[in-house]
Amino acid sequence: MLVGMAKILTIEDDVLTAREIVAELTNNGNDVESVGNGHEGLQRALTGAYDAITLDRMLPEVDGLTLVTELRRAGIDTPVLMISALSDVDARVRGLRAGGDDYLTKPFAPDEMAARVEVLLRRRHAAAPETRLTVNDLDLDLIARTARRNGATLELLPIEFHLLEFLMRNSGQVLTRSMIFESVWGYNFNPGTNVIDVHIARLRRKVDAEGLPPLIHTVRGRGYCMGDAQ
Amino acid sequence: MTRLETPLLASLLSERWRSSAGRLILLYGAFFLAWTVLLIAMIDWQTYRYLEHVVDEILEQRVAYLSALDRDKLPGALAMTAAIDLRGVMSFGLFDADGRYLAGNIDKQPLELPADGAIHALANGVARIDGDRTGPSRGVSVRIGDGSRIVLVRTMTVIDRVDIIIRNGFTWALSLTLIPGLLGGFLLARGSLKRVRRIETSVMPIMRGDLGTRLPISERRDEVDMLSSIVNRMLDRIETLLEEVKSVSDNIAHDLRTPLTRLRAQLYRLQRDTPQDDTRGTTIERCIADTDNLLDRFRALLRISELEDIRRRAGFGEVDLREKLQRVHELFSPVAEDKRIVFTLELPAELTTVLADGDLLFEAISNLLDNAIKFTPTHGRIALQAVDEKAGPRIDVIDSGPGIPAAEREAVLQRFYRTKLCRNEHECEAPGFGLGLSIVAAIIKLHDYRIEIADADGGTGTRMSLYCQPSA
Repeated sequence: MLVGMAKILTIEDDVLTAREIVAELTNNGNDVESVGNGHEGLQRALTGAYDAITLDRMLPEVDGLTLVTELRRAGIDTPVLMISALSDVDARVRGLRAGGDDYLTKPFAPDEMAARVEVLLRRRHAAAPETRLTVNDLDLDLIARTARRNGATLELLPIEFHLLEFLMRNSGQVLTRSMIFESVWGYNFNPGTNVIDVHIARLRRKVDAEGLPPLIHTVRGRGYCMGDAQ
Repeated sequence: MTRLETPLLASLLSERWRSSAGRLILLYGAFFLAWTVLLIAMIDWQTYRYLEHVVDEILEQRVAYLSALDRDKLPGALAMTAAIDLRGVMSFGLFDADGRYLAGNIDKQPLELPADGAIHALANGVARIDGDRTGPSRGVSVRIGDGSRIVLVRTMTVIDRVDIIIRNGFTWALSLTLIPGLLGGFLLARGSLKRVRRIETSVMPIMRGDLGTRLPISERRDEVDMLSSIVNRMLDRIETLLEEVKSVSDNIAHDLRTPLTRLRAQLYRLQRDTPQDDTRGTTIERCIADTDNLLDRFRALLRISELEDIRRRAGFGEVDLREKLQRVHELFSPVAEDKRIVFTLELPAELTTVLADGDLLFEAISNLLDNAIKFTPTHGRIALQAVDEKAGPRIDVIDSGPGIPAAEREAVLQRFYRTKLCRNEHECEAPGFGLGLSIVAAIIKLHDYRIEIADADGGTGTRMSLYCQPSA
C-alpha cells in the first residue's frame, strides 16, 4: 500500500512548526524540503517536482493564498495542504477556493497533519475515476451501490456506504475522526462525544462479521485505518 | 355608564398613577380636599354662630319692643310684624294668662319654650296655625303685665340657605382647582412614564446581550437624563470589563492550545515507540484522550468567540431545513441507539426554506442533540421535530431527561455553566458539556433567531425550541 518515497515541499516561516512538520513527515518515510518564505516557496513549487505541498497561509513576501492561486494558474496541480492560524469558516472556504486541497488550523497534531498529507498523496496517485473498490475480500460497486464481503451482500444504509467508500478509497491510511467527519459528512466542527466512533462501530459490525479477519482497525490515539491486519 | 367608567377608572388607578408625579398629585389632591372640608366647616360654623347671634338680637329687640307696648296695642303690633314678615321667617303667638290663644300664627304654646325671656334653640321648631312646622328655630317667650304670654319664634332657614351658598361656592372652587390639578398630574405622569417606556425599550437589546446600546438622553437634561447618563457610564464600564474578560479567556485558550498540542504530539510519539505489549501503553492512551478533551474544550471556547465576532453573513443562503434535519438525525441515530434511546424525527411534508448559514445551523442542532443524548437516560426518548409557523419554521428537540429547572434555563446558554443536577455526579462528567449550548446560543444570535427552553409536555424532560424567525 505504500506510495513509496514521496517528495514533499513544506513552506512555513515559523521555524519550530517547520521543524515539527519535517520531522513528522520524514518519520513517515517521505523526502521533505523546507522553505521559509513565500517567494522562494513559489519558485520551487512551480517546478512541479513535488508530490505534495504543505503551505502556511501567512508568509513573508508572497502569502499562502496568492501562492496557491499562482500555482494553479501555472497549471501545477500538486496537492496542497494549507495550514493556518485563521480558524474561521470564511478563511477556510477562501483557502480551499483559491486551490488548496485541504485545510488545517494551527496548532495541529503532527500525526493529524501527516495523515492528511498521506491522503493527498494517495489521491494524487489514484487512477481515473473508479467504479469499483476492493480491499481484500471486500468489494464495493460504486455504480450499483452494493457492497459484498466474502461473497455475501452487505446491507448498508446510505451513510454507511458513504463511510465505507471513504475508508476503502484511503485504505492503508490512518484517518482521524475529524478527517472522516469532514469528508463523509462535509462539516467542519467537533460533532462531540463519540459520534464517529459509533458510526464506525456500526459499520464494523456489518463489514467485519464474526469469523472474518477484521478490515477496519482502530489506531490508538489517532483514528481508524482500513486494510489487512497490521 | 359603568362600562365606560370602569376602564377609565382602572387606567387612572393603574400603573400610570404609580409614577412619582401621579402619586404626588393624588396625595396633594387628598390633602387639598381635607383642608377644604375643614375650611368649609370652620366658615360654616362661624357664619352659623354669627347668624344665630343676629337672629337672637332681632328676637331680643322685638320682644323688648313688644313687652314695652301697651297691652291693648299689642295685637296691632303683632299684626304689623306679621305684615312685614313676607317670607314667614317670624312666627309669633299671644296667649292669655290661662294659656288660651289670643292672636298670631302660633296657636299652641310650645311646651319646650319656658316663658323666661331668654332665647332658646328649638331643634324641631313649633307648630303654626296653618299646620306647617317651622324648621329648626330659635324662640323667646315672656309674660307681660297682665299675665298674658308672648311667644316669638324665628326660623333658621336663612342660615341654612347661607350655608348652602357657602358649600356650593366651595364645591365649585374645589372642583375647579382639583380637576385641572388631577388632569395635569395625569398628563405629567404619562409624560414621564412615556420616557420610562422609551428607556425600557432601549434596555431590551442590552438585556439580550447587545452591550453596545445606550439609554436615550433627551435635550432636557433633567433628572431622568441624569440617571440615564449614569447608567450609560456604567454600561461603558461593563462593556469594557466584559471585553477584557473575553479577550483574557480567548488569549488563555489560544496560548494554552500550542503547548497542549505539543504535549499531545510528544505523548503520541511516546505511544508510537512503546511496544504493543507494554502495559504503560494504556496509561499513555488515557493521557492522549485527556489532552484531546482539553484541546476540544479550548477549541470550543475559541469557536464561540469566533462565532460571536462574525459580523458578516458570508455563508448565508437558502437552507432546506428538512434535508438538514434528516442528515443530523442520520448522524445521531446510532449514538442514540447505542444508549437505547428512541430517537424520532417528525417533519411536515413541506417546510419553508430559511435564509441561514446551513453549516452553522447543522452545528447548532447537532449540539442540541448531543446535549439531549447526554442527559437522556438509557431507554429514554428524544424527538426532533419541525413545524412551520407563521413567522418561520420552529425546530424542537424534546428529550425525556431530568429537565432543566426554570431558574437555570437562561444560564445554561452561558459558557461553562453546569446544571446543579450534574455537579458531583459522575454520570454527567461528559466533556464539553458547558460549551455545546453556548455554541448554539452564539449561532442563534448570529442568525437573529431565538431559543426557548421549556418543560417537555407531560412527564419530565426538556423542550428546546429553536425559532428560525429573525426578529427584525
